[in-house]
Amino acid sequence: MIKPGLQVILFLAIRSIQRHALSSFIAIFSISMAGGLVLSTWKINQETRRAFHISTSGFDAVLGARGSKLQIILNSLFHLEDSPGNLTWEQYELIKSNRGVKEAYPIAVGDNYLGYRLVGTEPDLFEKHEWNPGRSYEVKPGGRIFSSMAKEALVGSFVADQIGLKPGDQFHPYHGLDFKEENKHEDIYVVVGILEPTGTPTDRVIWIPIKGIQLMEGHDPTMAHSLSAVLLKLKGAAGFSLHTKYNKQGNVATLAWPVASTLSSFFDKFSWFQKVLELVAGLVAIIGFFIIILSLRTSMNEKKREFAILRCLGASRMVVTSIVLFQSLTLALLGGVGGVAFHYLLNLISFSIIRENTGVMMNSVSFDPMIFYLFGSVLVLGLISGVFPSFQAYKNELSENLKIIS
Amino acid sequence: MLRLENLKKSYRDGEGNPIPVVDVSEFFLEQGSIIALYGDSGSGKTTFLNLIAGILTPDHGTLKFAGCCLHELDENQRDQLRAKSIGYIFQSFHLLQGCTALENLLIAMSFAGKVDSSKAKELLKVVGLAERMNYKPNELSIGQQQRVALARAVVNQPSLVLADEPTGNLDQRNTQVSLDILKELCEVNEASMIIVSHDPKVISSFETKMNWSDLNRVQENPVSKND
Repeated sequence: MIKPGLQVILFLAIRSIQRHALSSFIAIFSISMAGGLVLSTWKINQETRRAFHISTSGFDAVLGARGSKLQIILNSLFHLEDSPGNLTWEQYELIKSNRGVKEAYPIAVGDNYLGYRLVGTEPDLFEKHEWNPGRSYEVKPGGRIFSSMAKEALVGSFVADQIGLKPGDQFHPYHGLDFKEENKHEDIYVVVGILEPTGTPTDRVIWIPIKGIQLMEGHDPTMAHSLSAVLLKLKGAAGFSLHTKYNKQGNVATLAWPVASTLSSFFDKFSWFQKVLELVAGLVAIIGFFIIILSLRTSMNEKKREFAILRCLGASRMVVTSIVLFQSLTLALLGGVGGVAFHYLLNLISFSIIRENTGVMMNSVSFDPMIFYLFGSVLVLGLISGVFPSFQAYKNELSENLKIIS
Repeated sequence: MLRLENLKKSYRDGEGNPIPVVDVSEFFLEQGSIIALYGDSGSGKTTFLNLIAGILTPDHGTLKFAGCCLHELDENQRDQLRAKSIGYIFQSFHLLQGCTALENLLIAMSFAGKVDSSKAKELLKVVGLAERMNYKPNELSIGQQQRVALARAVVNQPSLVLADEPTGNLDQRNTQVSLDILKELCEVNEASMIIVSHDPKVISSFETKMNWSDLNRVQENPVSKND
């Protein structure tokens, strides 16, 4: 229903957009792409940092072989990258007995099954440790935690979903972190349980007793008492003294602590990539708004005729000016809506890729206040894009255009 | 209802010299009366109508319409007067192409500040477009487009209708139908009308006729911008 005032202006602006559907679509699409890219770049960066920080499975530090802190964390907590080397069982016993250490769990890596890592550890990890405050690991009904001296496996939920392992299944481990058929071990493991999902990298791992990795057929017997790292939960400010002891005074192991700042340095390494994405998004946005201006400008000759008719019907200069401005704002607004939708789509895709590769669960549908900034920005830019064409509409002399229409 | 005195309008040529187009010493139109104005093409008739509609401002003279001196009104007031009290019909209809027949009427009503959808539909029925009110101009025949233009011109019940060669694009049958509808609509609304045409058949169908050259003191054919 057409009503006087703002409604008729909006109606005519929308009809004008419909009449120039192709150029309007291109303008809306460009702004959507730009808005979606800007939002997603920001959101992925923020959400990845947040998700990685809370996906440390409740550990404050990791003790690993002498080397990079980041490599130790990625290898031990996120099950990415290679292990920088091995620790001895004595080193594990030593740090476990340190009075500043609340919990210590040894882990050993080096084998896989169909590309999913086998990580050896103690059953205590699943019995005593809280991966999030108040949240212990849970085994799905019908399963149990492996026994420390048996060839048994507890499978992360993501792995179970991907390759369909279930309690009672048997499998041969493969040597190395990458799956190669010729590297099959003779040992046979039995799946005894599937873990409930945690949204942490734990879900992407097949857990077996640490003795299993150490004594796996084909492994170097001299390494039977070595391990890859020790996952630590610390008491109070023990991190400072352990940091001094291992990183400053010692030279046989590295204490990756604090985990959060080490991860931050990891993300900082990729800040240039975010800047590139932002630059691309900025350029797409500029192109989008040029398209709005062009779209309004190219249809202006045709519109002059329309404006003359409207003026003859009694529309004031302000009405025709407002129609152009509203048209520009509507294009920008629709671009903004498209941008939000595109950003959710991008998040869904990229977060699923990140989850598949790291096991880190991210929230792709949460509302982000940045959306308000996006809408604010596109509306301001829409207004700016509409100023010149609407000024032209304002200056449009009715008597001049009667020449066209009379 | 409409009175004008010593109304003059000139255009400028490329060198800035004035070219007189309209020079009318006196013109008077009673409420409800209809005048058919005939004359050669390009003789300033459209300019005359545009002056009355407040689309153009005269260089000299006074123009009183419904008790208002048009030259004393600002542009917004003239727009409002045009929306509420003047209906304008053009030779080539000038319907809003992106809007349906009904929307064309509703938009005209909205500028007058009184949208009444049922009234607009009723009017479209009167002009024989009951089945075509949701069609866009390019989906209508020329005759149907003209009837939409007629309905739009009278939808706000204006006290004055200005019709500039309203049947110029129509065949003989549609011309007669349109003129009959136009006369009837003006009669029902008690509206005055000035109809401009150079077609003797159109002019002969009206009782009161006036030769534009008898009214306009500019005798040479001006190089008009509009007519």
